[in-house]
Formats: sequence, structure tokens, C-alpha cells
Amino acid sequence: MKKTKEIQLVLITALFASCNHPEPQWRAGGRTYIRSDSTASYTLMAHPHPGNPLMFYAFRPYGIYTAFGYRRLGYYSNALSEEVNIGHSAIKSAIVRGGFGESALSVES
Amino acid sequence: MQRFAIPPRNNWQQAVEQLGFGFHTANSPYWDESAYYSFSLDEVNLIEKATAELWDLCLGAVQHVIDNNLYARFAIPPEFIPYIEKTWEEDHPSIYGRFDLCYKDGQVKLLEFNADTPTSLFEAGIIQWFWLRDFDADKDQFNSIHEKLIAYWSFLQTYLHPGKLHFACVRESLEDLTNTEYLRDCAIQSGLGTELLFIDDIGWDKTRKIFVDRHDQPIQNIFKLYPWEWMMGEEFGPDILTDRNVSYWIEPAWKMILSNKAILPILWALYPGSPWLLPAYLEPDRLTDYVRKPILSREGANIEIRRGGNLIRQTGGEYGAEGYIYQQLFTLPDFDGRRPVLGSWVIGQEPAGMGIRESDSLVTDNLSRFIPHLII
Repeated sequence: MKKTKEIQLVLITALFASCNHPEPQWRAGGRTYIRSDSTASYTLMAHPHPGNPLMFYAFRPYGIYTAFGYRRLGYYSNALSEEVNIGHSAIKSAIVRGGFGESALSVES
Repeated sequence: MQRFAIPPRNNWQQAVEQLGFGFHTANSPYWDESAYYSFSLDEVNLIEKATAELWDLCLGAVQHVIDNNLYARFAIPPEFIPYIEKTWEEDHPSIYGRFDLCYKDGQVKLLEFNADTPTSLFEAGIIQWFWLRDFDADKDQFNSIHEKLIAYWSFLQTYLHPGKLHFACVRESLEDLTNTEYLRDCAIQSGLGTELLFIDDIGWDKTRKIFVDRHDQPIQNIFKLYPWEWMMGEEFGPDILTDRNVSYWIEPAWKMILSNKAILPILWALYPGSPWLLPAYLEPDRLTDYVRKPILSREGANIEIRRGGNLIRQTGGEYGAEGYIYQQLFTLPDFDGRRPVLGSWVIGQEPAGMGIRESDSLVTDNLSRFIPHLII
């Protein structure tokens, strides 16, 4: 037998479904809610809001205690690399994008 | 090899779309199930044998190019030569390639090798497999693409750097995206952690001198459906050479030797007795009936066919600046004006199946149709 016995796809049909929405929601006047941190794990707040004791942070804050009290330095998440979490502005300012992709719109081979 | 006209399935568009095949029709159907090609098992065995042996010949040709420093024939920038040789000597991971073959009168001949960024993988591995299940499930097909992809991704796991395997393609092409996502689908099924990003989303961290993804995470293994000759010429091209992670780019850089048509004269010079090769040269005066091909070109662009000095076919395009090769004319077989070329897949060093694209002329271009096949 020269052919595969059984085929399953775990990803590709979902891709097609996402590419073939007939009309984006925003065109129809609807609103789209997107979490900017969709890869982040949720963390229970250390000091929850009195009115909502189950409120979660998407990103955990971190900071230091100084003579003037607590100073927040940033946020991190287990879903992101350590270098990203602790490096924030200095790292991000060193990253450039768009250096690939200018040659053509398809490889067509 | 025979061609049979048949009625397409009712609602075939819906059938293929349910599989995730969104580019089945452009101005006319690209996926064309109004016909199929049939092969005997002996014919398929011959194609399979040719594919396996051609792969071996190609590996020998790469070594020859490296040993004899023939890069100038390939228009490869000199600064990339050490990197190419590093990826070859360190055996950086490679997953696939597609030989374009002409099968006629019992002969199999190599037309060219899409070694770097071959497409039509999804049509060959998935769409025609499901077509056969509907058409005649008991029949066989030269197609173990899917299981070989999963098996080889699994094999490569121990060879990859720690971390995810990223997948990148251009954002504007559903065809490219589907091929890339199909490969990622198989990688996921093999147990690999993956992430998709578009090629222009790749970041370069100037401080750390590494490539990063959209989350600023290091890219250490990346499948890219984007040709090396384009990458080398773009802004981030030189950064590949200073990348501190020495990321695995799949296909690896040494594949640019094989995807370049300058390999065809070298193959012929090395293996003139091979039954799978056509005479090919860098000079135009060695042949009377020949096809002139740019060493770097895509989709049948800038092809010129001459017979006895007379021009019989010519295509336009933007390629040719890097030079041409001249290959003995071996016309595609004629099935009432339809001319099929066989795309024979190598996955993980082994023949894995084939897809057939059919054109109305001697040159297979971007108007060709994908026709399914079966084994009788």
C-alpha cells in the first residue's frame, strides 16, 4: 500500500474557518473584544479589589520596597520569556521588525 | 499512465473547503477533479525509485559544489558561503523537497528540484487523499506524505534546539499560509511545540543579536516558507550570519544550492549516465533542442524553448538577471492538449508521494491545475 491509512488534521480546518468569515464584525457595527495578553496566565491579585475579591491580574506585578514605600517596576507572566519579563523597555527598544518579507506576496513554486 | 475524464463530485467545492482548502479556484479551478491520472504499480515504483536515486545524486552534487567552491555559478553572495557550509557540515534539519519530473514513454526525467520552498504539499497530501476516499476508497495512491511528515517531525525533535518550532510565511497568500499551517499541523501531531508568525513579524534584537517572535521570545528553530535568495537580499539577511542562537532555519541554507537551476548542469556533469537526468549546460551552444531556464525563477517565468534554433515557446517574467542554464528539451506528455508534470515529494530523505499539475502548454505555470491520481 502506497497511501496513508488514516488522516487527521488538528489545526488546518480551524485556520480555514478563521480565514473565511464573510464579514468582519466591526463592519457590521459590532464590537470585538480582544485580550492583548491572550497568552498570559491569570494570577489572583495580592490585594484584591474590595468589591470583587476574585479579580485576577493577567500579568503579575513586581517591584521593590524602598525607604519611600513600594515601587512597582513592571509586570511579568509565566507565558512570556524571562528576558522579556525583566528587560522591558531596554529590550523592546532594541528590537526591530519588518526586515523580512519585502520580496513578494507569495512563494508560488 | 492514463488520463480519465470523470464528473466531479457534487458540491466538490464544499468537500474540499471542509478540509481547509480555500484556494481551490482562482479565475478557473486550480483543483480539478474533472479528471484523474491512473498509474500501474510498476510505474509508481519506477517514479519512487527515480526520486530516491535523484535525492542521493543531489546530495552528492551539493558536496561537489562545496568541495570545488562553485558558488559563483549560483549567484550566491560570498559572505553566505561559510554559513551554507556550516549548515551542511552540521546537518541542520531539513524536512522536504519536491522533484518536478516528466514521465513519458517509460522514462522519468528530472526537470528541476524545488528544494527550498515547494508548495502544493497540502493538495498532494490531503486533498487528493480524501478525493480518492470518495471516488474509490479501495484504490491505492502514491501518497504517504501525511504520515511521513508526522514521523519525520517526530524524528527531528531530538535534533532541534530547545524551545518552540516557529513557522513563518508571507501574510498575503492563503496558499502559502495553508501549506505552512499544514506542516505545522503535522508538527503538532508529532508532539512539537509550535507557533505561527508572519515573515514580517520576525524581529531582530540588536542588543542580544538574536531573532525574536511577536512575544519577543527567542526564535531558535524556524520553518520558513520564504526562499533563501529573498532572505539573503533583505534587511535581516546579514543578521542570520551573526545570530548568536545560530537558529535552525528549515529548509537549511545548503538547500539553496539544490533549489537553484544551476545545479542541473552540475548533476549532468557528475552523473551523465543517470537515466533520470537530462543533458544540461551553462552554455547555449551545446544543444539544438533545449529549454532555457533562469537559475532563479518561479512558476515557469522567463522560460524559452527552442527546437532546431527556432523559438517555439516563451514566457515572460522578471527573472534572468543571475543567468540561465540550458536543458535538453524533453516535452511533457500530451493528453489531448493537457500536459502533466509530476511533483514527486521527498520527506525526511525518502520518497513520499506525488501530486500532478497539468497545463495546456509545454510550460507549467501559475495557471496549471492540480489533478488527482490513483494506482490501478
